[in-house]
Amino acid sequence: MRNLFLTAATLAAVTALAAGAAQAEGVLNLYNWGNYTSPDMIKKFEDKYGVKVTITDFDSNDTALAKVEAGGSGFDLVVPSAGFVGIFAEKGLIQKLDLSKLPNHKNIEPQWMSVAWDPGREWSVPWQWGSTGVSVNTKDYGGDINTSAIFMDPPAELVGKVNVVPEMGDVMLLATLYEGGKVCDDNPEVMKKVRDGLVAAKPKWMSMDYSTVEKMINHDYSATVDWNGSALRQRLANPDIKWGYPKEGYGLWMDNVVLLKDAKNVDNAYKFLDFIMEPENAAMISAFARYANGITGSEAFMPADMKDAPELVPPAEFKDKGQFATICTGKALDFQKAIWAELQK
Amino acid sequence: MAEAPARIHRFSVADLPGFKTVALVVFVALYAPILTLVVYSFNAGDSPSQWQGWSLDWYRLAWQNDQVKSATAVSLKVAFAAAILSTALATFAALGTTRRKAFPGQTFIYVMINQPLMVPEIVTAVALLLVFAMVKQATGYNGLGYLILAHSAFCVPFAYLPIRARLEGMDLTLETAASDLYASSWQTFRRVTLPLLMPAILAGAMLAFVTSLDDVVITEFIKSPGQDTLPTYMLGQLRRAMKPDVNAISTALLGVTLILLSSFFLLSKKKD
Repeated sequence: MRNLFLTAATLAAVTALAAGAAQAEGVLNLYNWGNYTSPDMIKKFEDKYGVKVTITDFDSNDTALAKVEAGGSGFDLVVPSAGFVGIFAEKGLIQKLDLSKLPNHKNIEPQWMSVAWDPGREWSVPWQWGSTGVSVNTKDYGGDINTSAIFMDPPAELVGKVNVVPEMGDVMLLATLYEGGKVCDDNPEVMKKVRDGLVAAKPKWMSMDYSTVEKMINHDYSATVDWNGSALRQRLANPDIKWGYPKEGYGLWMDNVVLLKDAKNVDNAYKFLDFIMEPENAAMISAFARYANGITGSEAFMPADMKDAPELVPPAEFKDKGQFATICTGKALDFQKAIWAELQK
Repeated sequence: MAEAPARIHRFSVADLPGFKTVALVVFVALYAPILTLVVYSFNAGDSPSQWQGWSLDWYRLAWQNDQVKSATAVSLKVAFAAAILSTALATFAALGTTRRKAFPGQTFIYVMINQPLMVPEIVTAVALLLVFAMVKQATGYNGLGYLILAHSAFCVPFAYLPIRARLEGMDLTLETAASDLYASSWQTFRRVTLPLLMPAILAGAMLAFVTSLDDVVITEFIKSPGQDTLPTYMLGQLRRAMKPDVNAISTALLGVTLILLSSFFLLSKKKD
């Protein structure tokens, strides 16, 4: 008798639990780069929709892809970089967005509406974007900083005081464009020039490291290949530091939100996607992550020190010089790796 | 005995020339970076390496950060569960490999138990990712169970080694005496072996706890939504500039590890 009672009680409890799980409408699982999601924006979303958002961090596109590809990851939304959106789509890991559920889709800036990795913007929504260029302390060098010559052929004032971030894709992109090539060039003659240029330039560099914000502010070096968000932080600490958009061509990157095919909280995901395309909310992401967001009208809500930041929005004359950093394949990649290995010596 | 050591010229590393210098260099190399981290966690400015005065701001900020809070909770839950589970398993394994006659294949079993110490962690991580992904898809369960199981598995050798060492060091007289006095084998275990073994079991549990708390690779691969632990949370900060709140979290983590390792040391000293 007692057993029967226990069984009944357990059954009741299990049913209640299962029901609880089924009703778990109030959840959304976001998988994003670390330190990249504005807590204030998340709080606002949670309060507005009564949805509990979990944020889980990844540290590289490859980690994110590997986890999602293994299946059963449990995430709803992921924020891969531009080149990876196509890979997620090709592997059938993400679903096409139902634009009728995204009234704010119209807020995407025209230049981000039709992009190489997602023509028509049917698979992904902008999160943050930025550029790769050069950051220069203008007290040490007064000449033109809008050129990759800063590190490919450093002017006398900068010789021995230049840093290059050890990021193969970004550096190879700038160097190839500087030598007159194109993104992922596989022309041996062009790549020979790129190699010779870099090898000749390397003795004039001081270092190849990542911690540029610290070292530019501390004046350990006078110029560096960098990303615009770092440059913004450098300028705020030292107004002499300026951001250059190499006129030979500079790099662009964008991180985008995609909806996973096996997402369990699709309705909440749509609410979130629409929510972050609201200018005020997009500005909250920017205020936290310190990059531009690609949403029209968000400028009005940006913090004062970012509103007219020259690092965030390229001036008109350089606007069409930006090239998207894609992941090269085949011969182009082999060239890059060989040159890169030589630079590491 | 008292005057003997003075006359015997035993070899001692300390007599080698340059011993003090080498020791000093090694200690500085080991501890200077950690000390720097601790000091800079009290920095007032928001740069991780420029000193701008003392403050507790970063501790306060880290404490108020919801993601840090949830990561701490996950870390502690997993570490507690994994420590208990792995220590229980390790205790049985240690008893099974010492308190009985030697049997063929004993070395093989010993190697099997200590497998996590030898197989590269990344290999285990990838293997677990694949298997757990299948289980996740089949069951739809996404809870902490995966992390706890995985952590328990690689914590077993850390708990096993001190327990086994203690069992090998304990001679059988007391246990034999208990049997002579008609104690059943359970009574012998419960009243004699277990109390004698307790310091080693606690020490093993603490080592397991610390090992679980520190793990990055396996956790990064198998965590489900909302299951960032402190180390994976900190790893996630890498892409963007690190702020001193990471220093503050590291210092706190260091403190916990230090307390546990000291207790481990004290416990294993006891009765030796």
